[in-house]
Amino acid sequence: MSINDNFPDKNGFFGDYGGKFVPETLMYALDELETTYNKLKSSPEFIDEFYKDLSHFVGRPSPLYLAKRLSDQYGSGNIWLKREDLNHTGAHKINNTVGQILLAKHMGKKRIIAETGAGQHGVATATVAARLGLECHIYMGTEDVKRQSLNVYRIKLLGAHVHPVDSGSATLKDALNEALRDWVTNVEDTYYIIGSVTGPHPYPLIVRDFNSVVGQELITQSQALFNRNPDAIVACVGGGSNAMGAFYPFIEKEDVRLIGVEAGGIGLETGEHAAPLNDGTPGVLHGARSYLMQDEIGQVKDTKSVSAGLDYPGVGPEHSWLKDTGRAEYVAVNDNDALRAFHEVTKLEGIMPALETAHAFGYLPILMKQLGKESNVIVNVSGRGDKDINTVAQIDGIEL
Amino acid sequence: MNRLQTKLKQLKTEEKKALVAYLVAGDPDIDSTLELMHLFVSSGVDIIEIGVPFTDPIAEGPIIQKAHDRSLKHNISLQNIIDLVKDFRQVDTSTPIVLMGYLNTFIAHINLINQSDAIGVDAVLVVDIPGELELSNYGITNPNIDTISLISPTTSDERIKQITKNSSGFIYYVNLRGVTGSSNLDIEEITSNLNKIRTHTNVPTLAGFGIKSYEDAKVLAKYADGVIVGSSIVEMIDAVKDTKDFSKIKEYLEGLSRAIN
Repeated sequence: MSINDNFPDKNGFFGDYGGKFVPETLMYALDELETTYNKLKSSPEFIDEFYKDLSHFVGRPSPLYLAKRLSDQYGSGNIWLKREDLNHTGAHKINNTVGQILLAKHMGKKRIIAETGAGQHGVATATVAARLGLECHIYMGTEDVKRQSLNVYRIKLLGAHVHPVDSGSATLKDALNEALRDWVTNVEDTYYIIGSVTGPHPYPLIVRDFNSVVGQELITQSQALFNRNPDAIVACVGGGSNAMGAFYPFIEKEDVRLIGVEAGGIGLETGEHAAPLNDGTPGVLHGARSYLMQDEIGQVKDTKSVSAGLDYPGVGPEHSWLKDTGRAEYVAVNDNDALRAFHEVTKLEGIMPALETAHAFGYLPILMKQLGKESNVIVNVSGRGDKDINTVAQIDGIEL
Repeated sequence: MNRLQTKLKQLKTEEKKALVAYLVAGDPDIDSTLELMHLFVSSGVDIIEIGVPFTDPIAEGPIIQKAHDRSLKHNISLQNIIDLVKDFRQVDTSTPIVLMGYLNTFIAHINLINQSDAIGVDAVLVVDIPGELELSNYGITNPNIDTISLISPTTSDERIKQITKNSSGFIYYVNLRGVTGSSNLDIEEITSNLNKIRTHTNVPTLAGFGIKSYEDAKVLAKYADGVIVGSSIVEMIDAVKDTKDFSKIKEYLEGLSRAIN
């Protein structure tokens, strides 16, 4: 197996995955974006501007923290937490929006749109738009508007407009559909900040690159804290941006296990989940070919997960490529195990992870059994759990 | 020459414009679709465009999205649509049929599409494949099926050149930046773009998106080789889905047919 570090190719493909499957009207906008990004990504001024914002606005680097009591709980090796939950706005999503808003600024776009599931990307987008005084519209499934009401209010406080989307399953995929329709309509003055390593080329590349700051920091921090590469990096995968950002700089370091954890919902065997890499087949959705939850006639299936941010039938194309090449492993953790992990990490470490992140923690009982006492495992704490309090309380039968 | 090419050539000889009418297969049910297809033809429609329902139709406005949803409640698949066309062909062997849909549902039925000469489909329009790419890259290799490509107001000259090279049947010019069912036609821009496309190809260029009134159709037919009407018809189908009294649709199509010629 050889990993091609230069992927995607010029057409936006990672092996058989990716591409630009969009209505013709958007082709010009994607070309414009690609040209701009290719020009800026090697510009020292642009890189300097991006890293300055990451330091002073986001608060990077985020710490790599030894979770002592959690490690003791499993008794086999050290569990380190990459604290993306400490970023401004409380999740990794801000790394990408800080970068993409700079692209929007350089392209002279006046209007920003985005989709959001858990609301973290919506908040992160509304935040950077507010900072630059740009008009901002966030599309969010009505189902998610209900279960993530705190983030909906945050987005509104930041001056952005929230558009509830009622079509289809009224979750993240439908929000993406609606954002794409907005873009088709307002393509000339609008910049679409996609929130994950999904969508048509060049988005999977751009979002990966901006989020790769996470993995780059991990290389340095691992050396500083335990003087070698980690044995494994574990991250949850919905669209896959936090995982891709952590994995990417390690792809060629083949001694590091890369483990993506999908949402197992009620259980993989029930079909009621959001785990296309575990239980899907390749298909085309939202501009890219990738693993997809679909039926035999090519219709996209409804997904199920306690976590709004993972409740998506597709996945970023680079993950599909990493799965097929075997470079990364993809597993699923169901709702109950994620909730158990949520409580465990909160109580043992005083860190309340997002329900998305809790899926990554939910894999530790299996993973830690495979590892020795000297091992070092990194869990990417993609976001903090404040937004999920209502959901968790409801499940626990507590009225707030 | 398949039915589509024959029809377009015939219209050209007669100096007539093509009326293309769209409906979603299975909306409100598959029997009604068959009835409507025959009604289309008897009302002056030259080419029938059948929408293949998809869960995530990103180029469609609310009217056609809802029609896709109604159709999917009956689990209408491409197989059902091919069966529908077979039934249609028992009575009508000459009206061209174009399937319009999204790549994922076509990929799921690739064998069917590659046999579909035998079952009477004349062209496919895959909304989410860029026009300069060949459908054969995605397994659609049937030589008897034309590939309809979209060109939009934002398509660059360079892309127009590539897209027209790969197109057969007709070019579908998207009148506006937006989804199906939008409004605000910019006639000046449309005519200028249609003229530009003509410098690259002899394939007939038909205009679609945003055509509602007879006046819209009339104006566009002056510049394009034909017009494509979708959302207005789908909206009318929805309005009578319980009574199934399609007489107003017939009236509307006859009006469109008169308006363009």
